[in-house]
This record gives sequence, structure tokens and C-alpha cells, in this order.
Amino acid sequence: MKRALTIAMLVLLAMPLLYAMSQLPPHGSATSPAYTHISPRYLERGPEEAGAENVVTDVILNYRGFDTNGEVTVIFTSLAAVLAVLLAGRKGDERPVREPAAEPSPPSVVVRFVVRLLGPFVTMFAVYVIINGHVSPGGGFQGGTVFGALVILITVVLGRSVAEKLQPLGVRRILQAAAPLTFVAVGVLGLALFGDYLAFPRDEALAWVRTSWLMVIEIGIGVGGAAIISAIFWQMGGDR
Amino acid sequence: MIAMLWQNIDYVGSVVLFCIGLYCVITKNNLIKKFIGLNIMETSVFAFIIALGVVDGGEAPIMGAGASAPFTNPIPQALILTGIVVAVSTTALALSLIIRIYEHCGTIEADELREME
Repeated sequence: MKRALTIAMLVLLAMPLLYAMSQLPPHGSATSPAYTHISPRYLERGPEEAGAENVVTDVILNYRGFDTNGEVTVIFTSLAAVLAVLLAGRKGDERPVREPAAEPSPPSVVVRFVVRLLGPFVTMFAVYVIINGHVSPGGGFQGGTVFGALVILITVVLGRSVAEKLQPLGVRRILQAAAPLTFVAVGVLGLALFGDYLAFPRDEALAWVRTSWLMVIEIGIGVGGAAIISAIFWQMGGDR
Repeated sequence: MIAMLWQNIDYVGSVVLFCIGLYCVITKNNLIKKFIGLNIMETSVFAFIIALGVVDGGEAPIMGAGASAPFTNPIPQALILTGIVVAVSTTALALSLIIRIYEHCGTIEADELREME
């Protein structure tokens, strides 16, 4: 009964949505309002104005940098909230110790060997995606996620103690805040030199400065993203 | 209207995905399954907005040697990158809340939780 009611309600909901979809401009048309408003300008002037050949990077880090600045703050805030929720009412940085029902058998030698073998290559791919993000598909978020996935893989296969060596305890909190910190640092640098928060140099001769600032932000986002993903995974007890 | 819907079949797909996700949110009893439904709804919105930016025969909006117009619209892609990151953040927060609920109540079934009140 509940299911039938739900399905009827969803059909009622889908009707107006489908009607609206049928009124939209045809899929892929080059004359749709979404494509003719401000995108042509970004596509035309983006590379020389904003400093990266990848126009998506131009949009997220330069034209709409405020937006991305808020976004990296959101992921840092979510880490803080996860820590607050999971650590509330507990002592220190530790989860409650539970006796595992049965000692899990360690992964086989083959799995451990393959993960060790893959590690350097995955790391290199992550670094490539991060620092080449302004001229090819990719960027800080994507590369950071690749590296975070590697940390999770190492945690699962080789144990948390091995994975934690990648993030020394002393600098771990700073690594986790790396994305907002670099963003604010570049923003304040723009404020000091050019009079506006997140202002990039406009001069034609300073194109390399624009590009290098973009790369600094990308690296900060990559490091911060990887640190946050692995911290959330550890905190949820993913190594059990 | 059917002809127009067929033309916009990509958008219709995201409507269907949205309804599937909402169905999970409403009917599933397990909190994690409910949240998976919410993630499906988020994905449908992402797919819809990305599809809005597609241009027939468009290339990836990366300038440089050998690139030729038309390019796909970069703005939806940049906006959805933001959206995906926010979705990951909310997922992490919700899962940690579910962990706490399980530790506190010993169950994550919505009807059993309601009985406990």
C-alpha cells in the first residue's frame, strides 16, 4: 500500500518535470540560453585573461574563485563536523577499543606486493593530474581524490600504521587545512599587491604569475583533499 | 510533446533517476539505504546540469594547439565540480551521524528507532 502510494506520488511529480523537460531547448543546441550568455566570453578570453588553457580551471579558480574558496572551506568544515560527531563524549583522538570477533586474516602476499608495486605509479598519476590540471583535464580535487584513494588502499591492505607515515602527526592538522589556507594566502596576496581579494595580475607580461598562482592553489587543494579524505576514512574506523 | 521528449532524452533520464532516488528515500527503512537514495537524487541533478552544457560535436573546453570550436560549456562543469565536493561532504557527515546512531541505539532501521522514542 505504502509503495503503491509512493509510486503514484512519484508519477504525479514526474509529470510536470517531464513537461518542463519537453519545453527546454533541444539537447546539444548551440543557441540555447545556457550556451549564449557568458560562456562564449569565457571560452574566447579565458586562457589569456585567467591564466590556464583549461577553461574549467579558469572558471573555478579565477572567474569564480570566491565560490571555490567557500567550497574548500565546506569540505574542511565537514571534516571538523565528522570529528566533532565521532569524538563527542570520548577521550582523546581514539575510537573506543572493541574486541574484534575474529582476528581478520591479513591479505595475501600477492595483494600486498601488488599494492606496494602500484603505490609509486598511483602517486605519480595523482601528482600529474594536480600540477597539469591547468592544461589538461584534472586539477586539485581530482588528483587529491586519487591520492586519497591510494591512502585508503594502503590502509586496508598494509594497515593504518603504514598509511599514517604518509601524514606525520605533527603536520597532519595543517595538511588537512591546506586547501583553505592556500586559497586565503593567494587571496590576501592579491589584496596586498593589486587591491582586491583574490585579484590576479592583469598585465600581459605577468601571465606566468597568474599561471603559477593557479598551480599553487591546485597543489593546496590536492594536498588538503587527500588529507581530508583519508582522515574521514580513518575516523570512521575504516581500518577495522 | 513526445517528439520533444525524445529529443531531450538525456534530460528525461535524469528525471527518471531523480524519481528512483526519491523512491529510495521514502520507502527504504535502513538509514544508509535512505542516504544512498539521496545520493542518487544528487547524481541525477548533476547529470542534468552537465547535459545542459553539451553542444553537438563540442570538444572539451581546453584551449591550446589543435583545439577547434565548438567547445562544450565550461560553466556547468565548474559548478558541478563544486556540487560533487559538497555532496561528498554531506555524505561524510551523514555517515558519521549514522555511526553514532548505531553506537547509541544498536540499530539503524527507521521504524525501530521510532519505537524507541
